[in-house]
Amino acid sequence: MRARNSLYIFTIPALAVLTLFFIHPIILTADMSFTSFKGIGAAEPVGWKNYDRIVSRDRYLDAIWITLWYTVIVVTALTITGMFFAAVLHRLPAIRNFSRAALYTPAMMSFVVVGYIWQFLYSPLNGGINVALRDLGLGAWEQNWLGNPDLALYSVAFTQIWMFTGFTCAIFLAGFAGIPEEIGEAGKLEGATSWQRFRYLELPLLGPSITVSVILTTIGTLKTFELPFILTNGGPDGATRMLSIEIINNLFGQYKFGFASALSIVMLIIVLAVSFIQNKVLRDRENVT
Amino acid sequence: MIRTFFTTSALAFVLAGTAQAQTVLDVVAWKGNEAEPAGLPELIEKFEAANPDIDVELTYVARKDVDKVIPPRLQSGNPPDVTMVDSSLVELWGGAGFLKDLSTESDWYGNMIPAVQNVMTTDGKIMVFPLEVIGMGNFVNMDLLAQAGIDKAPVTIDELTAACQALSAEGIAPMIFAGTFPAMLFVGANGIDPANNTSAKFGMGEMSFVEDANFNASLDGVRDLVAAECFDPELQAGLDPWATAPQEFKSGNVAILPQGAWNIGGFSSVDGLNYQFAPMPSSFTEYGLALDLVGPGWAIPTEAANAEAARKWVDFFAEEENLNVFLEAEGAYSPFMGGKATMPDLATPYTEAREKGSLILWPFSTLEFPKPLQSEWEDSITGFLLDIDQPNETTLQRWDDTIEDNL
Repeated sequence: MRARNSLYIFTIPALAVLTLFFIHPIILTADMSFTSFKGIGAAEPVGWKNYDRIVSRDRYLDAIWITLWYTVIVVTALTITGMFFAAVLHRLPAIRNFSRAALYTPAMMSFVVVGYIWQFLYSPLNGGINVALRDLGLGAWEQNWLGNPDLALYSVAFTQIWMFTGFTCAIFLAGFAGIPEEIGEAGKLEGATSWQRFRYLELPLLGPSITVSVILTTIGTLKTFELPFILTNGGPDGATRMLSIEIINNLFGQYKFGFASALSIVMLIIVLAVSFIQNKVLRDRENVT
Repeated sequence: MIRTFFTTSALAFVLAGTAQAQTVLDVVAWKGNEAEPAGLPELIEKFEAANPDIDVELTYVARKDVDKVIPPRLQSGNPPDVTMVDSSLVELWGGAGFLKDLSTESDWYGNMIPAVQNVMTTDGKIMVFPLEVIGMGNFVNMDLLAQAGIDKAPVTIDELTAACQALSAEGIAPMIFAGTFPAMLFVGANGIDPANNTSAKFGMGEMSFVEDANFNASLDGVRDLVAAECFDPELQAGLDPWATAPQEFKSGNVAILPQGAWNIGGFSSVDGLNYQFAPMPSSFTEYGLALDLVGPGWAIPTEAANAEAARKWVDFFAEEENLNVFLEAEGAYSPFMGGKATMPDLATPYTEAREKGSLILWPFSTLEFPKPLQSEWEDSITGFLLDIDQPNETTLQRWDDTIEDNL
């Protein structure tokens, strides 16, 4: 009994850090979200007004929807591309290490650098992509990549996918490394094709890697701020305006700390809810397989 | 030996005493770094020479970081002695009682340009010493214009549309009109009548944008520019005004760029770029409309530890020759009347418009238009460019809604 109690005592430092640096700020933010605080001076209580404004204005509901849709696009694409490259590299050990490092390089670059490089590539005036298309005789495919509201979100998403494919690939390669070689050899002896071995042997065994990859990329993407901020600043006309950009604009553009806090709490609830549901669904799926 | 010892000790004592008497003036600004020195290194040297008992310690804090760095210092009673502020910070920090009143009795106060004085004075208090007003208008590549047979930067709508047609006929991209900042400058210059500036009434919800003939005509004016082949509206809608657009102008790919005079330094460093800075063509004036942005100034926090030295710093900038160093480096105009011209010759068209009284203070910098309206202007004008045939009401109603939301 005493041993069990002493175990709890050892958790105190971790709990203290967690409370001080995570729980306490969240409580302060929640408290601030019921005020009209401007970042300085007195904070006047306004009740539920900030939350009422969020749910009664299309602008903020649109931002929530764009954030969720962007997350679906990015997480789906990252999972598929990461797994594709991991599956290929798993079968090509000679180039695996080099390719893994090359794929991971964009993830190590600063968001600001990546954002500005892609901004020039996407530029409608002599941008790299349009010029390349023109030179290849594909001028008809030229687009206003960041200026067309129907296209801008996907252009921003593509940049994020390019940046983090190496990250998910590394997770899946670790998953592949954990699959016993005998399973693949047994499949080969039974005459399974490469695709069949992947689909029926490797994919089910990659369940834990999929769970880790999807949850990490989902949380990261829901909080995405840098790329849409640098590439489009939420434009054109709000087409890429995510919740994170709304929060920053309200905080430092308009000094609405109270309202931005309410938006942050909404974001926190969304991240927690999505992560909880994903975790539950993916863990259940792992248990079934 | 003993004499040497006593001499050394006495010298050390004197030096220590001197060091103790030295005041370290803590100044925070978003100018003065290597990228934007604004003449501050030179001015600090001069100030310290004139005030040997004061050492200036300038801390550069980017404008976007000021909101995070300074408020905790103000609230904890440990503010800098002097801090750079803009109108929104004066309203916020001054309104919360964190800035000293510099007094309307100050010598320099009476010499301020009346419009600047008016917007900077709150309840009979002046909490900022304004440093500059910065022009916003059109950067015009004179070599590209010459190729189209034009030798004068356009300052009227007719001249602008004629220039666009001539440039377009020569296969030269006439104009950047990115949906955010550049487009806003044109819309503002053609929506706000300098002879009857009602910006404050719009900001207070006493006037409606939807019902205003000037702003309706301003949006119609954008359509006229499109018809004159000044730009492709859909192409411009998503163009980044701060990185891509200036780069296109510097590269000589486009003839006209609506932007701020703070780009003069950067553009002038480009070899072979022959350009002028001109006022924005406006239907209200034949001289073009100068759009003056009220720039930053110095403020002294209420709890500044070295308030007396801080006051000396402010008064130092009130001397014309010192302020001019700052203005010349900035490519800006003085917020005070009279004085020596500090703008380069390439800004002559803009300066002439100002001298003829054809100017307005940009209402977003004077807070006559509330902050949230700026992002709504950027969004809605971009939306307008993406669907140029939509009724004006669609765009203007969004501005009215934002004002109403902000009241």
